Amino acid sequence: MVEGDKERGAAWLDETFPVNATSAEAALEREHEGPWWLRSARRLAIALGEDDEMVGSARVTSHDWQRTCRLAFAMAPWRDDRDVLRAEALGLLVHWLRDESELMTVTAEIAADQPASIAAAEALGMVRNGRLREWFARPGTRVDCLLYQALNPRWEVRDA
Amino acid sequence: MRSPVMVGDRLYLRAMEAGDAELIAQLDAAETDTFMWRRRIPTSPLEHERFIAELYKQRPPHAVWLAVCLRDGDRFIGHVGVVDIDWLDRTGETASWLGPADLRGQGYGTEAKHLLLEYCFDRLHLHVLMSEVDETNTRSAAALAKQGYRPAGRLRWTDVKDGRYVDEVLFDVTRADWLVARDAWRAGRAAAAPRR
Repeated sequence: MVEGDKERGAAWLDETFPVNATSAEAALEREHEGPWWLRSARRLAIALGEDDEMVGSARVTSHDWQRTCRLAFAMAPWRDDRDVLRAEALGLLVHWLRDESELMTVTAEIAADQPASIAAAEALGMVRNGRLREWFARPGTRVDCLLYQALNPRWEVRDA
Repeated sequence: MRSPVMVGDRLYLRAMEAGDAELIAQLDAAETDTFMWRRRIPTSPLEHERFIAELYKQRPPHAVWLAVCLRDGDRFIGHVGVVDIDWLDRTGETASWLGPADLRGQGYGTEAKHLLLEYCFDRLHLHVLMSEVDETNTRSAAALAKQGYRPAGRLRWTDVKDGRYVDEVLFDVTRADWLVARDAWRAGRAAAAPRR
């Protein structure tokens, strides 16, 4: 994330109510307080490779940074292809966190009406280990929240 | 009772006050069980004071914690809460903690949790709630089942306990689930009342 992202808060900030540049800047400052190695969460921008357009963000939260983390996505609500973009971002992140960083578990919440993200998770070898009923509100209906985990096979045979 | 938010037969829930910080730290220091988390954790009133102050800064809040007090004598015995509230999806995660070991196993936790669930569903109008417990915390898992929660999954390898990786067990509960459980709990209490 960079300072200029405050001008595009609606694309990446998962706030309940509308955000302007001032409130997005405040969020950026809040999320970057203190040294990076002491923070439990890190937000990464999701941008298009072709023109750098910001289309969302991924928040990586971990209380140990050595073994486990959780992913949460906020995608630009006006993008009709946000499920496809999220799916691609998920692939990049799981490879970075599980395969390169060697974390033991990477956990992601995916709504049941996001087929591209579900397909990407399963193609990455993630397993569905939870389902929260009627978790997300949609116009006139609700959908479940699926909890997928990437379990690093390099850790599987080891004891604590 | 001091500014009650929810009132039950033996307990009431009220807002957290600055003076509760010292009581929470004392109860943490007196904790005897070690199975709930990886270890017992001594805490300072200073951190609880900050936690309580933060609860009232944001409106609408991301979390609501309520003090659990005995109606008889106004004794503070713990707190229950709903955190990570999403006001659009109308979801949240519930948690509870009762301190005094001498009060455990007497149904106070269940009574407090039913009051919390009534607050969440009928005051805040949340739609569905979740809760998660370490697999070693079988007492909390059994209590959740009595309060209407249903199993929702198991996240693997979330923590370490006794030299091995342990899982986190997930539960969720809708208002309909909770009402059935509360009716059963009330019927059980009524049936047991003559013997009490």
